[in-house]
Amino acid sequence: MGPGVAGIVANPASGRDIRRLVAQASVFPTAEKANMVQRVLASLAITGVRRTLVSTDLGGISAAVLRQLGRHPLPGVEFCDKDPLTGSAQDTINAVRRMVDAGAGVIVCLGGDGTARVAAKACGEVPLLALSTGTNNAFPQMREATVAGLAAGFIASGQIDPDLVTHRVSKLEVVTKARREIALVDVAVTLSKHVGAKALWDPASLTELYCTFAEPDGIGLSSIAGQLCPSPRSSADGVALKLGPVGVTPHVVHAPIAPGLVKAVGVRGWGVLQQGMRVDLAAGGGVIAVDGERELELKPGESAYVELRSDGPWCVDVREVMAEAARRGLLRTTSANEPKKERRR
Amino acid sequence: MTETLLEAYRTMRTIRAFEERVHEEFATGDIPGFVHLYAGEEASAAGVCRHLDRRDTIASTHRGHGHCIAKGVDVKAMMAEIYGRTTGSCHGKGGSMHIADLSKGMLGANGIVGGGPPLICGTALAAKQQGTGGVGVAFFGDGASNQGTTLEALNLASVWNLPALFVAENNGYAEATSSTWSVASDNIADRAAGFGMPGVIVDGYDFFAVTEAAGEAIDRARNGGGPTLLEVKFTRYFGHFEGDQQSYRADEVAHARENLDCLKRFRTRVVESGELSAESLDEVDTEVAKLVEEAVAEAKAAPKPTRADLETDVYVSY
Repeated sequence: MGPGVAGIVANPASGRDIRRLVAQASVFPTAEKANMVQRVLASLAITGVRRTLVSTDLGGISAAVLRQLGRHPLPGVEFCDKDPLTGSAQDTINAVRRMVDAGAGVIVCLGGDGTARVAAKACGEVPLLALSTGTNNAFPQMREATVAGLAAGFIASGQIDPDLVTHRVSKLEVVTKARREIALVDVAVTLSKHVGAKALWDPASLTELYCTFAEPDGIGLSSIAGQLCPSPRSSADGVALKLGPVGVTPHVVHAPIAPGLVKAVGVRGWGVLQQGMRVDLAAGGGVIAVDGERELELKPGESAYVELRSDGPWCVDVREVMAEAARRGLLRTTSANEPKKERRR
Repeated sequence: MTETLLEAYRTMRTIRAFEERVHEEFATGDIPGFVHLYAGEEASAAGVCRHLDRRDTIASTHRGHGHCIAKGVDVKAMMAEIYGRTTGSCHGKGGSMHIADLSKGMLGANGIVGGGPPLICGTALAAKQQGTGGVGVAFFGDGASNQGTTLEALNLASVWNLPALFVAENNGYAEATSSTWSVASDNIADRAAGFGMPGVIVDGYDFFAVTEAAGEAIDRARNGGGPTLLEVKFTRYFGHFEGDQQSYRADEVAHARENLDCLKRFRTRVVESGELSAESLDEVDTEVAKLVEEAVAEAKAAPKPTRADLETDVYVSY
């Protein structure tokens, strides 16, 4: 990795799906995403990052950042404008690949669970710092972009060793005959026939759920497990649940399955999901959702399996970075006018 | 469900066949006035209107043929109207941009950009006051999204908590002006927040995405939940109007037709899932082709309005 290179990828489509209609999910306007990119850029500059690659998009984020840079220039900012924009997740993948190729020491990702998942597919060994601008944010952190930018900058500029402040998370890999997808939080099997508007909001359609981690205070499908059989992010194991209709199953969990939606979910049973074990999914003729979004339509009889793996992305622990920065005084300078010790009379 | 899916396919196929035929016929010079074709955008009209019934009203745009067909306006009467014949929906005196059929709840195609949304506030208010359970749906484009009339209508619908749905059909260009330049927020749906209503973006090439979102929005409106702004993104297959040289855009249509087309995607998915057979879809294609053929032949054979028709249908007595 070349010293002093960072990447920022921002998804223009995050935070706009049907969950604003079926739930009370927040809206994340383009202007606010652009402001966050600006705040990250300003912090990166403070930490001495010499080159930052920023994703481009047709949604107006990069255009707004460019306008801002015209008024308040920052050195070393480049836009990833070599790949044609498709208006799809491919744009995120292309931008992240450019950042990896440029030797980025860290990639800041603005989006929800879906965006982080796509960025994780392409970031390889480069640490990811996922900031929340999406709908369901079980994986990315709700953090002030200014602080996140400082943390990213300390890593990218080589001032703090990433080995000390990043953790490799696990991931779920779903394999069908034609496709291979990953999930950072959960994989769900649904009775839906079509991907449709992507999001999931009807728990009655769910039959199986697999989670990399399950936190009691989580949001999204993993919260079902979080209230029943919690499993911390630090655990190598995940959890597997069989779901069914309320009234039939022995357990019912009232879980926040999406922002604004606390729903009764029927659970038949659960168990530990061990790493490296392939679990066949009874998904033929249905749809598999990854990180809360329907993604894979399966033909009747088509087989699929899920596997928990240890080689997910390296994730930046912002709190750890900033604590290390404090220990080493990276954000402190000694003034020439340092107050002299008072002479005691 | 399979029956309604087949009907949705029939609607989309009818729109496509109708528009492609009008494209050909217009080039011969037999059709008077201007026509603006809806091909490529079928999933929007079909995905929204399948949730509507006779209580519901829609307002359309200058690109209105698709909305008319999806709301059940007679295809032969539409073709006759475009040809300016007395057998047309408006007795041949309106043409493409004024096709209307109030008996079907179709308030009319509309030559005024941004003309539809205020009309829908009227019908939605009427439905609310009369307790009919009806919903008003305004289709409008990215150009109309910048018009004051549209923004006023969004405000009014929210203030009055009207049973309304605003469908922003963003095909990327207002005539020749790119929406990425002309729409300040870039996403039209972002504007919903300013009016206190939900704003949702869906893939306009995906019938299932549109119909899920529209279904939720229409249910919400019908049950007193108020208005929604739904942005449907796609491209139009033909120019702004027939004869448009389209020098303002690169060849994005070929890519969309090949890889994104709503009819192709629908067919692949319902056949692979086993919901419909390829044969049943082929049968619809044949029936639709025949219908459009007859519509053109009958329109051409129908009489034009005469001088005696000049003063009829000018005023309406209530």
